[in-house]
Amino acid sequence: MHPGFIFLAVIVGSVLFHIFTPWWWTDIASNWGAMDDTINLTFWIGGGVFILVCLFMVYCILKFSYKEGRKVEYKPEDHKLEKILTIATTIGVIALLAPGLIVYNNYINVPKNALHVEVMAWQWGWQYRLPGEDGKLGTAQVIKISDENPFGINLDDPYGKDDILIQSDELHLKTNRPVKILLKSIDVLHNFYVPQFRSKMDAIPGIVTYYWFEPNKVGEYEVLCAEYCGVGHYAMRATVIVDSDENYENWINEQETFSSLIAKQNNKLEITRIAKNNN
Amino acid sequence: MSDNTLNNLPDGFKGMSHDMSSDQTAFKGVQWGKVMMWIFLLSDTFIFSCFLISYMKGRASTVVDWPNTSQVFSLHVGDVPVPLLLIAIMTFVLITSSGTMALAVKFGYEKNRKMCAWLILATAIGGLTFVGMQAFEWSKLIHEGVRPWENPFGAKQFGSFFFMITGFHGTHVSIGVIFLFIFARKTFRGDFDTGKRGYFTTMKSNYVAIEILGLYWHFVDLVWVFIFAFFYLW
Amino acid sequence: MSDEYNKQNTPIEAQSSETMSGSSGSTTDIDYVRPAELPEQDLYHGHSFITKWIFCQDAKVIGIQYFLTAVFTGIVGLILSWLMRLQLGFPDLVPFMTAEHYYQFVTMHGMIMVVYFLTALFLGGFGNYLIPLMVGARDMVFPYVNMVSFWMFFIAVCVLMASFFVPGGPTGAGWTLYPPQAILPGSPGSGMGIVLMLISLSLFVIGFTMGGLNYLITILQARTRGMTLMRMPLTIWGIFTATALAMLAFPALLVSCIMMTLDKLLETSFFMPAIVQAGEVLDYGGGSPVLFQHLFWFFGHPEVYIVALPAFGIVSDLISVHARKNIFGYRMMVWAIVGIGALSFFVWAHHMYVSGMNPWFGFFFATTTLIIAVPTALKVYNWIITLFRANIRMNTVMLFCLGFIVTFVNGGITGIFLGNVAVDIPLSDTYFVIAHFHMVMGIAPLMVIMGAVYHWFPLVTGRMLSEKLGKWHFWFTFLGAYSIYFPMHYLGFIGVPRRYFEMYDSPYVTSATGMNEFITVAALIVGASQFIFIYNIVTSLRLGKPAGKNPWKANSLEWLTSEVPPVHGNFGEKLPVVHRWPYDFNVPGAKEDYITQTTPPSEVINAEVEKT
Repeated sequence: MHPGFIFLAVIVGSVLFHIFTPWWWTDIASNWGAMDDTINLTFWIGGGVFILVCLFMVYCILKFSYKEGRKVEYKPEDHKLEKILTIATTIGVIALLAPGLIVYNNYINVPKNALHVEVMAWQWGWQYRLPGEDGKLGTAQVIKISDENPFGINLDDPYGKDDILIQSDELHLKTNRPVKILLKSIDVLHNFYVPQFRSKMDAIPGIVTYYWFEPNKVGEYEVLCAEYCGVGHYAMRATVIVDSDENYENWINEQETFSSLIAKQNNKLEITRIAKNNN
Repeated sequence: MSDNTLNNLPDGFKGMSHDMSSDQTAFKGVQWGKVMMWIFLLSDTFIFSCFLISYMKGRASTVVDWPNTSQVFSLHVGDVPVPLLLIAIMTFVLITSSGTMALAVKFGYEKNRKMCAWLILATAIGGLTFVGMQAFEWSKLIHEGVRPWENPFGAKQFGSFFFMITGFHGTHVSIGVIFLFIFARKTFRGDFDTGKRGYFTTMKSNYVAIEILGLYWHFVDLVWVFIFAFFYLW
Repeated sequence: MSDEYNKQNTPIEAQSSETMSGSSGSTTDIDYVRPAELPEQDLYHGHSFITKWIFCQDAKVIGIQYFLTAVFTGIVGLILSWLMRLQLGFPDLVPFMTAEHYYQFVTMHGMIMVVYFLTALFLGGFGNYLIPLMVGARDMVFPYVNMVSFWMFFIAVCVLMASFFVPGGPTGAGWTLYPPQAILPGSPGSGMGIVLMLISLSLFVIGFTMGGLNYLITILQARTRGMTLMRMPLTIWGIFTATALAMLAFPALLVSCIMMTLDKLLETSFFMPAIVQAGEVLDYGGGSPVLFQHLFWFFGHPEVYIVALPAFGIVSDLISVHARKNIFGYRMMVWAIVGIGALSFFVWAHHMYVSGMNPWFGFFFATTTLIIAVPTALKVYNWIITLFRANIRMNTVMLFCLGFIVTFVNGGITGIFLGNVAVDIPLSDTYFVIAHFHMVMGIAPLMVIMGAVYHWFPLVTGRMLSEKLGKWHFWFTFLGAYSIYFPMHYLGFIGVPRRYFEMYDSPYVTSATGMNEFITVAALIVGASQFIFIYNIVTSLRLGKPAGKNPWKANSLEWLTSEVPPVHGNFGEKLPVVHRWPYDFNVPGAKEDYITQTTPPSEVINAEVEKT
């Protein structure tokens, strides 16, 4: 069989694979539908180019296989053709790039009403901090982290007192309210990634990074760490639950604030002290 | 190398495009070794640029204050601290050695073996003095408690970057000094006149080698100027 | 002065695309080539076995040494990839596979394949062998330095392999070696392993610099009479530009290696911010992990093109020779190689869109990255236009070239996904990335390497490789590799993250278990089929059909040596004199379907050749 047919089969097979594949996007659960659109656009333009180029190649090898004495074109250059191809490619590239940049511009500009959530990553797990009623997170430092102060919040910062601390890997979010995820790491690089939300960003020790999205589908989603962070990388999972407004309020009211945590600990200290004294 | 071709070459941009589109060599009349040194130095420039850019980034992003350089690098004359005294002398010595190197190249091409050899030796001694003074400065800082991993005067990156970059530059100077001594000996012995073959490479010696070493030496000096500006004056 | 020069009427002036009829002018005039500028090169001829074959200064032997060492590391990398794939497809099948080992294999596989296999093979192997032959030089300009270059590389490989046997094993930090995790106890091999890796890389850079200076200066300053830059085969252009990139990109790697070694051994804090690990505050503070990523990718992106550009060059030559047609748009190909090379220094941060760098960089780097797509696409067009109205020999070499075109176009287009910042965000750090870069800088360059081996084997050994085995080898490799990486993109679409030792029962992967198993089986087959290749080489060394001179009827100088295989000094008594570019195939009016570079115009007086 002429090898050209096998190459043709590869191209056709690729197309068929795409048509019949059961593997495709997870259902989107955030506002980043535009990202899917840009991917689809790239997919169709790119896929078209791939098929055209390969089909042309297959045509050439089928048509111009070696034959003694075949007349071969001797044309080292064709300025007109080269110019056309350059311009066409440039237009194609611009058509791909421009929508991408517009989406990216939205991605880095967080809406004003976004809810702030601090995600703190460590080897290998997650915890979260939400602002209290004052709507502001207290300042914090990695070196202040201890068992008593798991987020390293500066004790003299008044904004920190009412911060809501969630020392579990389960985070709840409100539907249809933008969230600004503030990423922090206390040791190495991590990445807070929920495939259904499409967006991701690394958490880096030493600085705070951010991204935003607006969850718009009630449900439970798995969080994956998407930046290699050591042996436990693959096990660094968590859960995000997108709640209706009512459930969200119920959940948040059950959570502990920093001041109540301190109070509880002082209490505990007191109890152990008394216990020690009694002994 | 036929001279008439070289002399007939066009100048300027026309010359450049001519050289590039001609056969055999792209840099007309330039020895292989010399081109090699230029390209190596370009590569080395990137190394030092990476070091210095990392230093700027490190200095800009550190949370602790950077130490006051005019204090840290001051030298006590009697009881009076004179800022940058040692470093001024070091820089002067190194720049001067560049001058002697340039003269050595000149005398080398004039086949003035004696003068050339003495000047190479002088350059080597200048370089050695520089390395010696740098060792003195390092031991002074170490004595005061500055380490690559800590720094009593402020940000610990100061110590890290200082020792790393001056150390890397110092290594360059030291390598240069070793070669300068070897070349001084070769020149005294007359290897470059007789075209004696090298022990390792088995290639014939040629006075061009001195110019190539000179290129390296001037580069090391030039890098020092930047290190001087970034560490001591900033 | 310039006017005088033009009066010399030399044929070395800039090119024009007008065809020149050779019928005008007298014979002596049109055959004129400027006299030699340089004296004959002084060569050291080895006398003993050691100076001839081990510490040898002949670039051809050094090239073979590089090639064999690189292939050896490549086989190690291949075996590591099998182990990884087995874990992913059939967890718990390999008894000793722990997460630590898995990550160590991932890391070593990546580093070996990118640096010690592909870079060393293309530049050290093909570069050393082909540059002096193709530009018409007796040898590299500094044979001694060239020899030291190989031995530095050899020591680097030894140090790398030694890291498998130190306590804690080799580093498992991922091939990008991102700090802080690379040097903290949370990663496998964060003790001796990472230190040896950094030392090995530094040695590699030093060794490579020595070799690289040789390649550049041989090409710039030691070409033969008549060999202008624009008459060089594209292979040489590719290797030349890649080497230039390496000379400027490796410094960043060296610097980051030095700094990380200090962070590890002296506890400096270049890349290390304040860190609390396992409840303990470490002694670090104030450093920047992102700085490392910038340095690394300032090296890492040009590195991609260090691998790709020689492949581009070589494949252009192979296509042209075996399609019996000139390469279409030679000058555009040259400028595309140079342009891609230059642009590759301005795109590094597209590897860092989700790294937490200043988000405004995204706009700049997305734009530069997509600009690079234009010259790359033009190269692809030119390859397929070269096939148009050609006379294509469907031999193993050509099959590998076609395989290259398919995989490269596929990988190039997925590159457009990842270069465009908004599209990259959902896809980065998923299997889509793995599929993309294996397709574009794994399989595509490998196709070229294999094609090149089939093409130049007759030159190196004087014997042909078996075509029959070659075709089996090709189809197993191409179809197998394509069926590994094409479906893998879809894993990325689902959102399966990379570098996962195990997925448990995440919905992302349970749906694709079947695909993972299929990919693993395909990977095993592709790997195993490489032994057909090795068998072919080993048997053909003794039993292959004698090749004779210029078996492919190619034009370039390496086929025109006085003896085949070429001996030390390459070209017998006199160096060849070049009169044309190497792509004069099927020139109208010529007697044969090829005109070698050394054929003087007076011998092909009626051919309407391109003036080059």
